[in-house]
Amino acid sequence: MKRREFLKDIAIGSLFLNISTLLHPQEKGFPHIALIQGESPSDITREAINTLGGMKKFIARGDLVVVKPNIGWDRNPQQAACTNPEVVKTVIELCFDAGAKQVKVLDNPCNPARRTYVRSGIAEAAKKAGATVLFPNPHHLKKIAIKGEWLKEWEVYTDFIETDKIINVPIAKTHSLSRLTMGMKNWLGAIGGKRNQLHQNIDFAMIDLSSFFNPVLTVLDAYRILLRNGPQGGRLSDAMLYKTIVAGTDYVAVDALGATFFGIKPEELRYLQLAHQKGMGEIHLENLNIAKKTL
Amino acid sequence: MQKKRSKKYRIIQALRIVSQSFFFILFFYLLINTRFPGEDYIGHVEIFFHFDPLLAITTFLASRAFFGTFLFALITIAITIILGRVACGWICPLGALHQFFSFVFKKSKLLNPKMPQDNHTVWKYYLLLFIVAGSVFTLNLAGLFDPFSLLFRSFTASIIPGLSYIFSNFLGLLYKLNLSSLGDSLVQLVENIDINAIFSQSFAIGIIFISIVLLNIKKERFWCRYICPLGALLGLFSKWNLIKLKIDSKKCIQCGLCTIHCQTQANPFPEDQWKVSECVYCYTCSAICPTSAIQFHLKAIPERTAPINLSRRRLIFTSILGALAVPFFRISPSTARASEKLIRPPGALPEKDFLQKCVKCGECLKVCPTNGLQLALTEAGPEGIWTPILVPRIGYCEYYCSLCSQVCPTGAIKELTIEQKTEVKIGTSWINKDRCIPWKFGDPCIVCEEHCPVSPKAIKLEKIEVKLPDGTIKTPLAPFIDIELCIGCGICENKCPVVDAPAVYVTSIGESRSERNQMLLDIIKSEEDI
Repeated sequence: MKRREFLKDIAIGSLFLNISTLLHPQEKGFPHIALIQGESPSDITREAINTLGGMKKFIARGDLVVVKPNIGWDRNPQQAACTNPEVVKTVIELCFDAGAKQVKVLDNPCNPARRTYVRSGIAEAAKKAGATVLFPNPHHLKKIAIKGEWLKEWEVYTDFIETDKIINVPIAKTHSLSRLTMGMKNWLGAIGGKRNQLHQNIDFAMIDLSSFFNPVLTVLDAYRILLRNGPQGGRLSDAMLYKTIVAGTDYVAVDALGATFFGIKPEELRYLQLAHQKGMGEIHLENLNIAKKTL
Repeated sequence: MQKKRSKKYRIIQALRIVSQSFFFILFFYLLINTRFPGEDYIGHVEIFFHFDPLLAITTFLASRAFFGTFLFALITIAITIILGRVACGWICPLGALHQFFSFVFKKSKLLNPKMPQDNHTVWKYYLLLFIVAGSVFTLNLAGLFDPFSLLFRSFTASIIPGLSYIFSNFLGLLYKLNLSSLGDSLVQLVENIDINAIFSQSFAIGIIFISIVLLNIKKERFWCRYICPLGALLGLFSKWNLIKLKIDSKKCIQCGLCTIHCQTQANPFPEDQWKVSECVYCYTCSAICPTSAIQFHLKAIPERTAPINLSRRRLIFTSILGALAVPFFRISPSTARASEKLIRPPGALPEKDFLQKCVKCGECLKVCPTNGLQLALTEAGPEGIWTPILVPRIGYCEYYCSLCSQVCPTGAIKELTIEQKTEVKIGTSWINKDRCIPWKFGDPCIVCEEHCPVSPKAIKLEKIEVKLPDGTIKTPLAPFIDIELCIGCGICENKCPVVDAPAVYVTSIGESRSERNQMLLDIIKSEEDI
């Protein structure tokens, strides 16, 4: 082996050794995060993903994809307690355009799934886009090693494990414990068991679950954001039209950017601080290459 | 003499079986569809009950109020007056079930019908009188014995949960055997069939129902023959009807098969002993007759048939008993003072009116999307056994749901729109600070607050100071209840991580339907508003 080749191999190998690079592949020329504003939820979602380089960057031909929206509450889209159905639909469509074989949509809600799936409008929208909409099946729950710093093992819906790619499609809302619930909190909907006990150490639960599920892409729906009475709102005045989508592979950065919509500095959120310290992602917005656009 | 069974009546008999199967399936179909339909409003899945004259009469008498949809019961009465008890023989799903099991027991030689000797068919008339007498004095016990209520309640609270248990274990087995794709397709097949699988009295309800079915071993259609008060009521109307039995005495060989196999002991032979009020027009006698001697003719002129053999003395005795039952069913602490666990579904009338109307059918239990509505045992006194109560530990009252009020066949739960329902308070939530995680240990937990569905939330979080035994001081956010905003839905109790005896719990006080079960003077509230 020639010396030059050896060095080249080392250089390539070291690239793969950098885990955070491996987890969140960054290609030159594309921004870290897209922040798109506009009137149509589906247009801004599409634009956000295209800005990042298109869905083909994340989804390969023949992939089985799980899309995880927030379908937690028996609330309609105007109440902004669940992800906007148009956003979910667009993400699914883009997955299929990129060649996905199957797209599954599921969430383990707080109110009965039969109700939340309907009133949120997500079941209908996702089915229209061709996705397989599944109610959380208790027989799919399996105790799995999370291997987190705090959360060692938990009951997880195997649909999120027996898949090629996961895309997180949360909505931005206030929450009385973690202050905000966006991408990282959304993973409490992918698990079963006595998950209401996780609130006793919510920040660590969010971090451990996020690094466990590790989505290839996070699309934060801030078309409407929930300012009060989170995480389920109620009155239409609890929600505010914000007409924004944030997309990115660095889910910590996506949440950090989302926090600013509520006038909260990312550093103020404990879970983001901790996630950043652990090297899971960036929370200092000045270090991020954010592509902003208004349609 | 030529021995030949009548082809005509065997066809009619087959038609009757088709009709019974159809109505049983219809009843079952409506029962299964008594669930969250995927939208806020549900159709008339409770339609069977509206055709029930027993419930119509007793509810009318007990509550002194008429519920419009019970006009359908007049149709049943009209049909009975014209055609006799065809409703029992051709339509009643419980009758069909009894007949089916009687057939099974006969075929399996468990039941060997003999020539009936007894006159016990009159029991049901006394039971009817007992119930009606009670309802005159505002005690509505019809639901305990009404066939539709019995069948619906038993299927809802016992049979279907039992089947669901078996099914879910079968699924578990499939997944264990790594047949998950088969399991998945089965799950998706039934995913919209909402099943409430947990009922506190499943066992008792099931034992009663199975016993009633097993009574068919003793006598064919035992329930219909001796107990059913609805059958008795229709029997009273079945005297002047047009279809009359006629035995061709030339053909009759006096074998007695017709009377032995008569499903309801109507005594077709001898002809003058035929009890028209017992006949359910199943046509077994005319189909089984070896010489085709039995015919049913249309006859406009009323004929003398054997009367219902009721003793006047017993009639008076049962009426008195029915009246006397009222205090016995009413003596209960719950009538003196509201019971904390007596959380009624939203829209339920004030307790007294509610009990007069509730027929314990189980429609609301079946439709409840969270399984929270359960059968009362002692909470509402003896009178209120098997009436619905909300048990938040099993299921809470869903905020945007008024299904129970929509399916209630008697208006015991007043029909509400979703908007009206969200205004109804069914109880009030309380914190047990001795068990609450932030209050007791100073650790974070906001689960109740997070789930509170009203906006602004009825559970507020405030920073408190907790001094632990080792002297450390913690300052967690702890829940406080705003009783003005709380609607008593119980989601907080249901989701509380302190699962065995939740640290937040609902009691009935403050319920909008009651004037007495309140704690704060209205006068104080209105002063605050100013």
